[in-house]
Amino acid sequence: MLFPLLAANTDHKFYVSTTNIEFVPSSKSVQIISKIFIDDIEEALQKRYGKEVSLATKKETDADRELLKSYVMQKFHISINGKEATYQYLGIDYETDIVKCYLEITGVSALKSIEVENTILLDAFDDQKNIIHIKTPESRKSMVLDNDNPKGLLNF
Amino acid sequence: MKCLSLVAIFLFAGIVQAQEETKPERKPGHTNNNRFKQLYEEFSTPNTYRSANGAPGPDYYQQQADYVMDIELDDKNARIYGNETITYTNNSPDALEYLWVQLDQNVRAQTSKSKLIEPSGAAPAEMAGTFVGEYMGTGFDGGFKIDHVKNDKGANLPYTINQTMMRVDMPKHLQPGDKFVFSIKWWYNIPEHTIDRARSGYETFDDGNRGYVIAQFYPRMAVYNDVEGWQNSQFFGRDEFALPFGNFEVNITVPADHTMDATGKLLNRKEIFSKDMMKRYEQAKKSYDKPVVIVTQAEAEAASKGFSTEKKTWKFRAENVRDYGFATSRRYIWDMMAVKIGNKDVMAVSVYPPEGNPLWEDYSTLAVAATLKSYSRMTFDYPYHKAISVHAKNQGMEYPMICWNYGRPDKDGTYSERTKYGMISVIIHEVGHNYFPMIVNSDERQWTWMDEGLNTFVQYVAEQDFGEWYPEAIAPNKAYPSRRGPANKIVDYMAGDQDQMAPIMTKGLNTYSFGNNAYGKPATGLNILRETIMGRELFDYSFRTYAQRWMFKHPTPEDFFRTMEDASAVDLDWFWRAWFYSTEYTDIGVQDVKKFYVTSKMNKEVREMMEARGMKAEDLPPLVYLVEEGSEDFEESMRTSTLDDVTTLNEYIMDNVPASERANMKKPKFFYEVTFEKPGGIPMPIIAEYTYSDGTTERITYPAQIWRKNDKSVGKVIASEKEITKIVVDPDEETADIDTDNNTWPKRKKLGDFNNFKNKVKED
Repeated sequence: MLFPLLAANTDHKFYVSTTNIEFVPSSKSVQIISKIFIDDIEEALQKRYGKEVSLATKKETDADRELLKSYVMQKFHISINGKEATYQYLGIDYETDIVKCYLEITGVSALKSIEVENTILLDAFDDQKNIIHIKTPESRKSMVLDNDNPKGLLNF
Repeated sequence: MKCLSLVAIFLFAGIVQAQEETKPERKPGHTNNNRFKQLYEEFSTPNTYRSANGAPGPDYYQQQADYVMDIELDDKNARIYGNETITYTNNSPDALEYLWVQLDQNVRAQTSKSKLIEPSGAAPAEMAGTFVGEYMGTGFDGGFKIDHVKNDKGANLPYTINQTMMRVDMPKHLQPGDKFVFSIKWWYNIPEHTIDRARSGYETFDDGNRGYVIAQFYPRMAVYNDVEGWQNSQFFGRDEFALPFGNFEVNITVPADHTMDATGKLLNRKEIFSKDMMKRYEQAKKSYDKPVVIVTQAEAEAASKGFSTEKKTWKFRAENVRDYGFATSRRYIWDMMAVKIGNKDVMAVSVYPPEGNPLWEDYSTLAVAATLKSYSRMTFDYPYHKAISVHAKNQGMEYPMICWNYGRPDKDGTYSERTKYGMISVIIHEVGHNYFPMIVNSDERQWTWMDEGLNTFVQYVAEQDFGEWYPEAIAPNKAYPSRRGPANKIVDYMAGDQDQMAPIMTKGLNTYSFGNNAYGKPATGLNILRETIMGRELFDYSFRTYAQRWMFKHPTPEDFFRTMEDASAVDLDWFWRAWFYSTEYTDIGVQDVKKFYVTSKMNKEVREMMEARGMKAEDLPPLVYLVEEGSEDFEESMRTSTLDDVTTLNEYIMDNVPASERANMKKPKFFYEVTFEKPGGIPMPIIAEYTYSDGTTERITYPAQIWRKNDKSVGKVIASEKEITKIVVDPDEETADIDTDNNTWPKRKKLGDFNNFKNKVKED
C-alpha cells in the first residue's frame, strides 16, 4: 500500500509536518524552516478559504502564495524567553512534494526558553502532527504538537 | 596506541614497579552489552523448518488453499455476491481441529472495532463533514453477510465469527496430508472508496458511472505455519495480510458493457473480445516499445453513455497466487505492451478511465514494464504472465498481478510534476509488491517492513532505472526525484522525538510514524548496506538469494537477516541490532586533531616514565619520539626538520633496510592523531575524507568494527607526506548522520539550507 504523497486521509492517513528551529548565537538569530506536504496545505487552504489553490504548478498565483503566507503567520507563533517574538517570513521553496517556509527572528542574544505554538493543518486534519526540532549550540530537543497539545515550552 | 607500546617497552625491560596503592571504586559487573554481540538472544534457534543459513529447512511446509468462485456484481445497487468453494490441504505435521477464515470486509461492519481501538480527543474545531460522519451519521452497512457455510455434501457447517475472523469447525480433525472441501455463500454492500478510503470499493465518476476496484472481497483462508500456528490476528484496517498460496478458478459476471481485468489468465477471451479488440491484442503482444490500446478512450466514452442490462461472465484461472483482485467499469480504457523477462514475454497492462488522461496513456504501461525489468534483475524473473496497473483515485494498493494507483490530472488536463512523479512512483511501488509480498510471501500483518520496506528499497532502485531509461520523461531532472532511499532523507525522522518512535521490529499496527517506520527506515537501511557497508556486488547477490530462496514461500525476519549474512560472509548482527531492533541513530564526528613532530630528543612523558621506574636513558632501546605541537618539548625548528634528522630512525634504517630499498621508503612529514567521536548509538563505518594542502583528497573508510571496544570515541594516527587542511566525516551523507555540525575539522559550519535560501533570496 502507498498513501498518496503520504497524505491519504481517514484510517490510512499520515499527516505530519516537520519544523526545524535553530538558534545561531553568532548571528543572534533563530532560524526556522517549516516543511509541509503540499497536498495537505492545499487541501487545508481550499477548505478554509473555499478557493482553489495550486502550489508548485504553472497555475500557482501570487495570491496563492500570499494566502499560504497569511495562513502560516496566523497559525505559527513563537515566544522567546517568555515574550511573543515577531518573525520575518522570508519566503518559500519547494522540494518534490514539500513546501519549505523560511522564517527568522533576529536580535536574540541569549536563549533561555522557547515556546512554540504550531496549529498549521490542525484545523483541517484531526490526526495532524507537527514535529518540532529545536537546536542550539548545546542541545537538540524535539517535541510533537497536535490537537491535544498545540503548544510546547522548552527551557534551556 | 602510543601509551600501550611504551608500557610494553618498560615491561620488557624487566622492571616491575609496585603500583601506587589506590582504592578505586569497584564498578558492578555486567552482562555482554557490546553493540557487536551476536543476535543469539533475539533470534530463535534454527530448526528443521527453517535452517540456520536462512533457507527453508528440510521439513519446511506450507498449507494450500484452492478456490473456485462464482462472483456477480450488481452495478445498480453496488453489491457483490459470491459463492466459493475452498479446498484446503493440510501439509503441516499437525492435525487441525478447526480452520480460520479471514473476513476483511467486516472492518466496515457496523460492529467493527477498528474505530474503538483508536483513542480520540475533543478537537478545538472539526471539519463539518468529519463531524457529521463521526457523530451524526448512521454509518455504512458494510461487512460480509454470510448466507451459509457448507461441506462438500451440502450440509451446514458450524462457524463462529469473531470480528474479522471466522472459525469453521470440521466434523473431524484434518489429518496431515488430508484435504477439506467446504463452501461459503456471501454478499456485501460495496463501499465508495473515495469517501472512506477503503482499499477496495467503487468510485463514482461525474457521469454517474462507477469504477470498481475489488479486493479482499471473498472470505480468505488464514495462514497456518510453523511460526505462528494460525495467523489469526484481527484486521483493523491499516495492517495488511497473511495468506496461503493456491490456485483460483473465478467466474465474474458483470454488465455486458464493462471492461475488466483481473488476477489470472482470461480463459474465454474469444467470447469476450470483439474482433477489433482481438486484433489489437495480437498487436500488443508484439509491441515491446510502446503500449497498444485495446479499448480506446472514444470506445470507453461511448460505452459510458449506456447502462447494459445484459450480463457477461469473464472466466479466469490463476495458479500459485496468494490473493485475488479485479477491476471493472464501462468507463475503462485498456492498453498493453509486451516486455521480455528472461526468455519469456510478460504483458504490461493499464486500465484507466478517461479521467486519468493525458497522464496515464503516457506513463502507466511504461512504468509497469520498467518495474518488471528492474525487479527481475534485483530478485528473480517475474513468474506471472501479466502485471496490471489500474487507475483509482487516491488508491495505492497491491494484489497479485493487479494493483490500484493514484495520480490524476486536473479537470483541465494539466498536472503538476508532483502528480506525475507521485503516479509513476506509486505504480512502481504497487507493481513491485508482486515480488514482496505476493511472491516472497511474508506476513504483512505482523511485519509490515518485510514487504513495505524491502519493496520501497527496490522501488528506489527501479525509480533510478526509470530515470536512466526514459530521460525525456524526467527532464529537466537528471535523476529520478525519489522521495525515499537516500540516507539523508530519513534524518528528520531519526533525529525526532524518541517517544514517538518504535523499532522497525514492531508489529505494524503499533508503530507511530507508519510511513517512516515501515517504509522509509528499512528501505534506507538496505540502501546503506548496499552502497556503504556491503557494496553492491555482495549485497545484490545476497538479496537475490533471499528472494529466490523464499519465492512462493513464507519467510520471517530471521530468514532475511540470516540469508543476507550467510550469502555474503559479512557479519551484520550489529547492523540489524541497531537499525532494525532499536531506535538508535547515527552521529559521528571529529572530536579533536592533534599534530605531532618526530624527533630523537626524549620528550617529557617518556622522561617521567623512565625516572619513575629508576631507569636510565641507556636502558632504553632506540626510540623515536612524537612531540605534540605546542607542548613543552615542542621547538619551532621541528616544523622544518625531516625524518632524516631523527638519528635513532636513521641508524635503524642503516642497520636494517638494504640500501636498494631505502629510496622506495615513504617519508611522512606530518603526523596527526585524529579522535573521532560517536554521540550516536549506531556504530557506522567512519568515512573520513582528508584534504591536503595541495588540494588533493583521500578517503579512508574505517569499518564499523572500529567501535567494538570503545563506543564513544576512537583515535587514529595519520602519517602523511602532505599537511592535512581539512577532515570531513561522511562527506556524501550516506550514513544518515543526524547532526553534521561535528563532521568537519577545523570546525566549520556547513552553509545550511537556511543560509542557502537567504542568499538566494538576496540575489533575486
